[in-house]
Amino acid sequence: MKRRILQFLLALAVVMIPIGAIATVSQMEKGESQKVEREGSYESKHFGDMIVNFWKQTGIYAILNPKEGVKNARGDEVTPFQQSVGRIIMIAITFILFYLAIAKGFEPLLLIPIGFGGLLANIPLANIIGDGGFIGELFKAGIENELFPILIFMGVGAMTDFGPLLANPKTALLGAAAQFGIFGTLVGAVALSQLGIFDFSLQDAAAISIIGGADGPTTVFIASKLAPDLLGAMAVAAYSYMALVPVIQPPIMKALTTPEERKIRMTTKRKVSQLEKMLFPLTVLMLTILILPESSPLIGALTFGNFVRESRVVERLSKTLQNELINIVTIFLGLSVGSKLAAEYFLVPETLGILLLGLVAFSVGTAAGVIMGKIMNRLSKEPINPLIGAAGVSAVPMAARVANRVGMDEDPTNVLLMHAMGPNVAGVIGSAVAAGVYLSIF
Amino acid sequence: MVLEAVKYMFLGMGIVFLFLYLMVVILDWQHKLLLKYFPESFQEESQAPTTSKRERLKKVAAITAALHHMKNS
Repeated sequence: MKRRILQFLLALAVVMIPIGAIATVSQMEKGESQKVEREGSYESKHFGDMIVNFWKQTGIYAILNPKEGVKNARGDEVTPFQQSVGRIIMIAITFILFYLAIAKGFEPLLLIPIGFGGLLANIPLANIIGDGGFIGELFKAGIENELFPILIFMGVGAMTDFGPLLANPKTALLGAAAQFGIFGTLVGAVALSQLGIFDFSLQDAAAISIIGGADGPTTVFIASKLAPDLLGAMAVAAYSYMALVPVIQPPIMKALTTPEERKIRMTTKRKVSQLEKMLFPLTVLMLTILILPESSPLIGALTFGNFVRESRVVERLSKTLQNELINIVTIFLGLSVGSKLAAEYFLVPETLGILLLGLVAFSVGTAAGVIMGKIMNRLSKEPINPLIGAAGVSAVPMAARVANRVGMDEDPTNVLLMHAMGPNVAGVIGSAVAAGVYLSIF
Repeated sequence: MVLEAVKYMFLGMGIVFLFLYLMVVILDWQHKLLLKYFPESFQEESQAPTTSKRERLKKVAAITAALHHMKNS
């Protein structure tokens, strides 16, 4: 047996060696001919020229000598201002984002990747955000086709406990009212464009107004569908305002309520069974199928994540959705959104309008939630503290915590947190529905 | 165009309210159905918190650790 194998190997060697030799020789010939060609085309360069050429490839040269009519890696025009001072301004802005994330603790999970993506996007000549650049490829892989926001939504679903909403379903209406921030701002943005103050189309205005939903992934999803050019500024606005919820909301909440209303104690809620929690995602999805199939990508992912969590038999999948998957996607999403912080995309007049309208949308949403809370308090038998209406803008769980804190300022023994979580998680569904409405219109 | 936007506003808010209102109604209805046909599922939940003293202490320790972590970070 051994001998046979040896014979076979020998025969194989006899056949293979000549073939290998022939191939090598032909390869060598080719190599030589290539060498000759190269030598022919190569001209000896002066050392001084080499230095000058290298100097022209440095960042200092690119920033100091902006040229007219330069195009970036994605084929978009870059003005001389954006090439020089613009780059420096944007790099400074990314440093401010780092400062806010690290020193102030504003949404560091997102601002750090977004800021760093912005920093990389503003490196002259590097082509990181273009075709073949790693952030450019990430952008194509997950933002252009809206994949990353959907994956994030799965993680959000797996992390969210809808129990507080099930314990007091009525409070979902507060989450609906807060979506007025979205649609009210749409009208405002269109009116301002009509007056000539901004120049937004109806689609742009719709995309910008979704910032009022205070939901990062929904904003990115809608922006990449309706107004891809405005994505960077919109994402930055949405995430910054979400981080600023504790600053923006309390003055509005206090202005719209009396101290007595803020002291209202809410009654204990009904019990929620595990079975009910498990059925919830299915019920919501059925409703989506029947009423608004357009929003089923977002709500489908959210309910999938939640079903994995509440089914309680796939702990491993649930943990992956809540940790590994959402973390990985957050890194990719942050970097690719950051690529839109390149000077040529961010330093345009529209950005100011987006930041302004985003803030308006956020404030209007908060106000609408609180007013709805007041109305419901009048109409319903059980007392409802209007403060929890402010939690109807999504921003889970920050907005609920803010509602709780403002309530405690008035009466330190009045714990509103769990009551506020109801409208808070309903807000996530509400803004996904609002996104679906936009998708079905445009 | 403003009129168009106002139309979209009413449409949008209408759908959002309709959706969440229907959700509230269905959830209430579902709750009643479950109470009627699966009352035992609610009892299970109420029994869950009565864990042993040892486990409760473990929970307290975990919460304390989390709070410390939050404060330090």
